[in-house]
Amino acid sequence: MVISPVHYIAVPLLAAFVIPLFAKLNREFVRIIPGIVLLYLSYVSIVLMNQVSSTGTISEVLAGWAPPFGINLVFSAFSGFLASLMTFMGLVIWIYSYRFKKIDDEPALKFYVLFLMLITGAIGIVLTGDIFNLFVFLEIVGISAYSLTSFYRNRDGAEAGFKYLLLGAFASTLILLGIILLYSSIGTLNMADIAQKSHLIPTSLKVSIFILFVVGFGIEAEMFPLNGWAPDAYSQAPGPVGAAFSGIAVKAGMYVIIRLIYTLFDIEGSFQFLIVMGLITTIIAEVSAMKQTNLKRMLAYSSIGQMGIVMVAFGIGTREAIIAGLFLMLNHAIIKGLLFLSSSYLVYNDDNKLISSLSGLGKRLPLVSFLFALGAFAIVGLPPFSGFWSRLYLLLAAADKELIYLIAIILIIAVIEIVYYFRVINKLYFKDIKVKSDDVQKPSINAVISMSILGILIIAIGIYPDLVTSYLGNAADALLDKAGYIENVLVDINN
Amino acid sequence: MNTYFVVLLILFGGAIISFAINKVSYLLSGIVAFIATASATVFFYLNVDTDNFVQFSLAGFDFQWGLNSLSLLFTYIVLGLGTLATLYSIQYMRFKNNLGYFYFNFLLGIGSMMGILFSQDFISFFIFWEIMTWSSYLIVVYNGNKTHKIGIKYMIFSGIGAYAMLMSIVMIYADVKSFLIADYIDYISQVGLSGHYLQIILLIVGFGVKSALMPLHVWAPKAYANSPMGYTSLFSGALSKMGVYGLSIVLLSLLTNFNTGENVSLGGLFEGINAEFIRIIVQWLGAITAVMGTLYALKQNDAKKLLAYSSIAQLGYIITGLAIGTELAVMGALFLAVLHAIFKGALFMAMGAVERQAGTTDMTKISGLVRKMPFTFIVTLMSIIALAGIPPLGGFVGKWLLYEGMITSGHYFLVVLIFFSSTAAFLYCYRILFGIFLGQEEKETINVREAPISMLIPMLLLAILTMVFGTYPGLLFEPIANAMSYIGYNDVVWEMSTISNVWGDKVSLDYVSLTIFTVFIVAMIFLTIKNYKGTRYVTTKDISTSGEMPTENENLTFQLNFFQPFERAVAPLYKRSMDKIYNTIGESLDALFNFVRTIYTGNGQTYALYVIVFLVIMLIFKDSIFN
Repeated sequence: MVISPVHYIAVPLLAAFVIPLFAKLNREFVRIIPGIVLLYLSYVSIVLMNQVSSTGTISEVLAGWAPPFGINLVFSAFSGFLASLMTFMGLVIWIYSYRFKKIDDEPALKFYVLFLMLITGAIGIVLTGDIFNLFVFLEIVGISAYSLTSFYRNRDGAEAGFKYLLLGAFASTLILLGIILLYSSIGTLNMADIAQKSHLIPTSLKVSIFILFVVGFGIEAEMFPLNGWAPDAYSQAPGPVGAAFSGIAVKAGMYVIIRLIYTLFDIEGSFQFLIVMGLITTIIAEVSAMKQTNLKRMLAYSSIGQMGIVMVAFGIGTREAIIAGLFLMLNHAIIKGLLFLSSSYLVYNDDNKLISSLSGLGKRLPLVSFLFALGAFAIVGLPPFSGFWSRLYLLLAAADKELIYLIAIILIIAVIEIVYYFRVINKLYFKDIKVKSDDVQKPSINAVISMSILGILIIAIGIYPDLVTSYLGNAADALLDKAGYIENVLVDINN
Repeated sequence: MNTYFVVLLILFGGAIISFAINKVSYLLSGIVAFIATASATVFFYLNVDTDNFVQFSLAGFDFQWGLNSLSLLFTYIVLGLGTLATLYSIQYMRFKNNLGYFYFNFLLGIGSMMGILFSQDFISFFIFWEIMTWSSYLIVVYNGNKTHKIGIKYMIFSGIGAYAMLMSIVMIYADVKSFLIADYIDYISQVGLSGHYLQIILLIVGFGVKSALMPLHVWAPKAYANSPMGYTSLFSGALSKMGVYGLSIVLLSLLTNFNTGENVSLGGLFEGINAEFIRIIVQWLGAITAVMGTLYALKQNDAKKLLAYSSIAQLGYIITGLAIGTELAVMGALFLAVLHAIFKGALFMAMGAVERQAGTTDMTKISGLVRKMPFTFIVTLMSIIALAGIPPLGGFVGKWLLYEGMITSGHYFLVVLIFFSSTAAFLYCYRILFGIFLGQEEKETINVREAPISMLIPMLLLAILTMVFGTYPGLLFEPIANAMSYIGYNDVVWEMSTISNVWGDKVSLDYVSLTIFTVFIVAMIFLTIKNYKGTRYVTTKDISTSGEMPTENENLTFQLNFFQPFERAVAPLYKRSMDKIYNTIGESLDALFNFVRTIYTGNGQTYALYVIVFLVIMLIFKDSIFN
């Protein structure tokens, strides 16, 4: 079998549908199949990433219809990087959730099916070359995300899920409206073709379409003020799902915004717009994070803040800044993933997930607390952990464009982050123990493995950032090469 | 393999081993830590070579490690004090918990300080700086519970300092396209300082936090006083010197050497700033730090806090000297920097010994320990003589140079401030001596014994060093003169045992010292023999008790409000404290943050409304947003 980007979509989608059948044979298949799928996709990622770095972008035509009429998948160094990152995060989260107790109590079947759908949708968004197809994948992500949010079927979960659904419905409507307007003006849905023809659209209409898209996808990408769903969703969803949201779903939304600005539309002021929105998002989110008493909500706001910084990075727009932005996305996925995964054990038995309930847990749950502390150190950008390098790249990119105030704001925010993360670390380690030893949930072995993978990765990248910098550089080049993207998709028709 | 890598490998590897080995035996952890620092020290000085530079590139940046004579001077402080402090800690920490954690961070601190000194580029400098910061933070909060606020405060100020430094570094990179410190100095020497003052100011802020410069010092007193004393000796002695090291690069290599006297207006916030202005500001901040540190030290009842404030004051002298920047002042400042590491290291260790043996360092609670802990007393005595700058011990030489440097360069007001603070330092020095060691013995301290030998050795060694450097300051002048030649002061004149001034007067220290030591030793032998017989009981006629007969167990040495008249005289100076100002800022920020977070109402309808409003605003203003 030849490895192609189609496998990213086809295999997990197929698996999601056959899992219920296999479940009849043996309940254990429910857990094993997603793992096999994700392992296979990781293999696909490795193969394709190697292929991309040697031969360049892979454009795969589906169902025999050539673009701009048919649907195609584009696996470039940029989209491939994100798809691989999502696959990797999916695999880690699968390892973690294999025996996550709360999922054991609830129907595991639903969880795994929805989880696979979420990954499929997110990877589909990143890989597809067709904007309507992208919309379909967004709906897949959305529907699985709403259900995963209210997975526990309690009141708060339902409320959070409903808020997410409400805003998600807005997003779909606006995006669909944008697509309709776009199609009616240039008659194509293929993204390469749109990029080629977007100058034909009257500017005013083009800007309106752009705004519809930005607002629609901004909801997914946690842009302020469209991110009201996020704190609730993160705090109510099961632990691994929070990690999946921040590592996978949100990245997909961010990807689309980046594509819109860099490739599809050529709108003056959109970069500045991204910087400003990113700054507002991050300032408000970090300030809110500081005042949270609920650990999961704090992480959620921090996650929003990080996405704001990513927006700023992509708003600067130079190659260095894109590398910084991609590095931030990578770090956000692994570090915030680690924080969400470890924090689930820290607040395991506290329904309110209060930070104050963590007192002295460092002695009861040494490994989990250590990993949480590691994640906190990394996310505030302390060397020698991976978060430091992405922040450094971002600051250098900003300094290169002489955006002094931007640097100052980013660093002030970093101080705020120090305050609220170190407050938690202090609670963990340097306060008297409140909980009884039988009240804490010891992590299962697979959870320890998955968190350790992330922890080791954080340290490894922190000490030797060249592990990833070449991929990031290629990805940035691929993103900036708009003509190459168009050519790659549309010329392939003729061959 | 390269010297630098090996030294760091020994220290960081030692950190991991002593963390792991703690499971086997609590004692082993400390011994491993000591072996690691000692072997790193020995290896380093056997292979030290200032011309050896290592270059490598990582993450697309060029890194350079090497040694220059300035950083070599500071390695003496770090490795010397580091080795002694680990040796001291083995016994000091013996009965405490989490020793693996303690030694891990301890060695990480020493290793990262060495890394800072090796770094010839800003980025590895910053990386090691941050490792130093968080490892020291983890030790500040080591004692648990009450320390978390202190820890957060330390971390916030360190964060502000570090990020100011980082901001400066990235701006420098945008200008120079290189992280090498030498490249930046070259660049400045070509284009001049104008337009780069923001970078310099940010660097000064960054280094100022670690060297506890006003108004960035507020973290220091409590952080110093609440860490385990074995570490505080290093914290105050060596870690703060990293700030001094950075400041000496900025103030001397950059500001003094390339101060062409131009007065370029930068506009806006930086109107009228030039190199001279920055230096005057730093001089005054240093002097004010010295005065305020001393005044607050006088007020303390806890010897540890007293010493913490005293450290701040001492750092103030050093910074003032560096900022003045004449040859003598710099020499005095660097001399004091080394000496401060020695005597303050010894003092913190001595207080640690008192704390360990007597349970507290509160001067109102203990007294009369001189018979119980004679060696600790001797160490304290010598260290505070050095601290107060009394001949013949080392501190005197440093102060002499500093005063002379200030007077010859015409900074008379600063001399007054420094002199005031230095004189007031006598008072608090005496207080420690009197409060803890002299006076009547208390019932509670009847079972106190002298500290273990492995704690006494490092203390005594440091005390002897103050004596050696007081008699033969030339031993220290030599590396200092080399260091100064690196930062642009060529042909610094020094003599082994003589200090002179510009008016041609000379003082031969060895004669002075020998005379004083002889007198001292003779007197001590005499007194020991005379008083050996036993306790002399105070008769009721000796003291005034308003006609009442004091009972035997009533303590007649007074400790509380020791300097009440003096405190009253300077009371207005205590009124405004930076702490209060920062608290006010913190509270108002808190209120603001509380307001901002109400944007997230938790109501789905509001969120939906936000989306609509945002969309409408965007559509209305689309022309102005997207041209």
